[in-house]
Amino acid sequence: MNHLFPFTEITGQEHAKKALLCALVCDDIRSILILGNPGTAKSALVRSVETLTDRKKVITIPQNVTYDRLLGTIDLEKVITSGNMHVHPGILQEGNNQILYADDINLMDEGVIQSILSTSETGQYLLEREGLSRMISTRFTFLASMDPAEGELSSGQMDRFDLCIRTDQITETGMRAEIIRKALSFEHSPDAFVLGCEKETDDLKKNIQAAKERFLYVSIPDGHADLISSLCIELAVQGYRGDIAVARTAKALAALDRRDEVIFDDIKLAALFALEHRRGDRQDRPPHPPHSEKEERPEQDSDKNRSEKQNQPDTRSDDQIGEQDKKNQEKNQIPTPPPDRYFDIGSPFEVIRYLDENTWQVTQKQKSGRRSRVISSDSSGHYRSFRYPGRCRNDIAVDATIRAAAPYQRIRNRNGLAISVKKTDIREKVREKKIAHTILFLVDASGSMGVQKRMVAVKGAILSLLNDAYQKRDRVGLMIFRGDSADLLLPPTRSPELAAKLLKAIPTGGKTPLLKGLTEGYLLLTRGKYAAPGENKSIVLLTDGRGNMPLTNKAPGEELALIARKITGTGVRFVVVDTESGFPRLDRARILARDLNGSYFRLEDLSIHGLAGCVNELMYSER
Amino acid sequence: MKDEIIVFPFSAIVGQQDMKDALLANIIYPSIGGVLIRGEKGTAKSTTVRAAADLLPEREVMKGCIFRCEIRDPRNLCETCREKIAQGENPVSEYTRMRVVELPLCATEDRVAGTLDIEHAITKGIKKFEPGVLAMANGNILYVDEVNLLDDHIVDLLLDAAAMGVNFVEREGISYSHPARFLLVGTMNPEEGDLRPQLLDRFGLVVDVEGEKDNRERSEIVKRRLNFERDPVVFCTSFQAEQQAIRDHIIRAKQIIAELRPDDLLINTAVKISLSLGVDGHRSDITLVKTALAFAALDGRKVVNCNDVIKAAGLSLPHRMRRRPFEESSMDFAAVRGIIESCYESS
Repeated sequence: MNHLFPFTEITGQEHAKKALLCALVCDDIRSILILGNPGTAKSALVRSVETLTDRKKVITIPQNVTYDRLLGTIDLEKVITSGNMHVHPGILQEGNNQILYADDINLMDEGVIQSILSTSETGQYLLEREGLSRMISTRFTFLASMDPAEGELSSGQMDRFDLCIRTDQITETGMRAEIIRKALSFEHSPDAFVLGCEKETDDLKKNIQAAKERFLYVSIPDGHADLISSLCIELAVQGYRGDIAVARTAKALAALDRRDEVIFDDIKLAALFALEHRRGDRQDRPPHPPHSEKEERPEQDSDKNRSEKQNQPDTRSDDQIGEQDKKNQEKNQIPTPPPDRYFDIGSPFEVIRYLDENTWQVTQKQKSGRRSRVISSDSSGHYRSFRYPGRCRNDIAVDATIRAAAPYQRIRNRNGLAISVKKTDIREKVREKKIAHTILFLVDASGSMGVQKRMVAVKGAILSLLNDAYQKRDRVGLMIFRGDSADLLLPPTRSPELAAKLLKAIPTGGKTPLLKGLTEGYLLLTRGKYAAPGENKSIVLLTDGRGNMPLTNKAPGEELALIARKITGTGVRFVVVDTESGFPRLDRARILARDLNGSYFRLEDLSIHGLAGCVNELMYSER
Repeated sequence: MKDEIIVFPFSAIVGQQDMKDALLANIIYPSIGGVLIRGEKGTAKSTTVRAAADLLPEREVMKGCIFRCEIRDPRNLCETCREKIAQGENPVSEYTRMRVVELPLCATEDRVAGTLDIEHAITKGIKKFEPGVLAMANGNILYVDEVNLLDDHIVDLLLDAAAMGVNFVEREGISYSHPARFLLVGTMNPEEGDLRPQLLDRFGLVVDVEGEKDNRERSEIVKRRLNFERDPVVFCTSFQAEQQAIRDHIIRAKQIIAELRPDDLLINTAVKISLSLGVDGHRSDITLVKTALAFAALDGRKVVNCNDVIKAAGLSLPHRMRRRPFEESSMDFAAVRGIIESCYESS
């Protein structure tokens, strides 16, 4: 009895379905990423794949999976009873010849993502953990889904996915009605529902089987093979994974269509599946922020729009650049006449400890590197090593305990037990939790920052702060506000190098939407990916505090104070760097820092060599 | 599930000459100090390194030694081998293939450094050291994919061992040390975050790879990959002759390099370059000289020429230039090239 919603009955999402079928036909299409807003049938689609195969199961990888569970660990029972090392298989091994599924992959631990993806690619992994050393072969199809609004994967991780498809919001009323009808009728009597589409499912199964056999004989005509390469070159696809994935997919599509030769349409569709997420021609643009993307995308008819673009992949980039230009022009011309200025980056300096590490609950002295790696006190985090136990012995490191007990087994009286463990053998797990530290640099790039080339010094300061973040391996993001918008130039990433590159191109000019910048920055860090509890979040705001774009009809200062007080104490730390120069000083940034309950520095204070910096540091260490 | 994974043959990899040369140079002359392959995602970085395993030459080692101590390297023997020799035993040798030992990102400390042999302890009740990845790596290639994502505490272990050539284990009541001289090969995609400077400096050479921009070459890559997937055995057989040719080539180059000594011209050139660039230390000079020698040997020559030095300079110098994290590489390669050319012309 099959109580899964059948694949054939899923309404719409034709692209997603096609891509999944390709993976069933071609074993070398090993990973598919499904992007889509919540409620666009992502996981329903994935689970329904099981209805198309008799032998494969869809195994879900839990969000907070540990390395033990994922890769395998010591099988204690067997070790103790037999005295030989045995591996208790992990999910990756259990998934051999099956389908593995990870929902919300963008929220998973980076190391875990890395392990799954490279295993799916190479069909094997090396287990070097806790006394075990094994090369484990496992071939599975990896399906992952995510809502890009919750945060993105790095481009390297994206590239590892053979195919990437988007599920669409269905806006057509007839289709929506059909979805409701089907869902209710399935709920009402699943058996009858499944029975009702049995023939369709069987036909599709047969087609997949036939396509699988045919796949081996499908050929790509030479001209078409060249087309794939030139397409990849044109779209600035890095590496060859894209080329190869297009070729495989095109062959699978041809096989599904009962053809022995790849035709142009196969390549077109395959390119959409395999190249969209690998396009390099969009990299000069800042990676699109999750929230503004929604604004850019036309609400209605996105399906049609996409297929149109897909028909002429080479013209799309031009279109987009055009749009972007237009947008920029609007931004620049409407609010203020003076043109944007581009300032150089001032000389970098060594930064003081402006993020006052003492308050970050770091329980371990750091030798170097990451400021936010914490030995966790509960049983969360990765098992890193072991120690003699403290008062409570809940989190016992069994392997280490056995190792400690092992040498004495001969001399101990085991009383019929396989192994005798004494109190003194017990070791406790030391778990390490990586607390990501996310710093959003929120930079005032309005016209007033151009006064006396202030922006040169500001850019120098940002570069220095980035350098500091680089050494501590924080995650940094860069958002600027000017004119009438706040733009996320770089969503929080571990590659501050990118941020440094973008820094050069920050234009200066226009009004100061300080409020908008503050709220947008705050929202970014408090929702989706970056909102995870236990993460350290800071906003480093570089401004002279002269906001002049009110959101309501209150007085600007009053409004700012109100918002500022609202967003304090909610887990985001604020550091205000006052960029005000000249005379008389208005000290607006200082007031803002007070309202935000944050730390306050003047630009000059940040340098470790500045006199003010030394004084400040003294004050910090005394506290 | 014992099905061997068949590796894509080295000789079937299209293009990426620098990457291949750097690997081969290290294989024939391991003291160059390893190579870091940096570059765009999906440009056959790992594929090439894994493929190199099939080409590795044989080494003459102490028979039965778990660390595969090199018989001709009496200064770097493990305790057991040293004792044997001290007791007047005549060392018996055997031949073993140099191999690629992989260090996975998920590795735990005990598996990297080695730990107590739990099986032995339970069954025999005797403490015994169970070698880890660093022991396996002795005399071999230690390969770390995505080396920039390696956990800090593992990097520390790696650096300690690499610096000393010895792995010290002090835990679980075990105090042990063994030789750990290995060729460090790393791959990384710089977009995923940078490498700590200390680790970067451990690599003798750095190669930056890019995807092929030529249409025909790219199609060829795809074609070969698909053929390989379709039937790996047949595909590998069709490259057997090429593979053997490279193996022979390596053996020949190893013979040449054993006799090759740097001439004054090469040494003076290296010194001139370092002085003009203001590089600290001598590691870069030495690496430059060694790499130039290796390139000459790979080309079957006993004399180093200008091109060898230029190529060696491009791989051994840029990552050693002092630079702040966000500065573009400050090396003026045209100037370096000029120095080399003028040295070799005036000779």
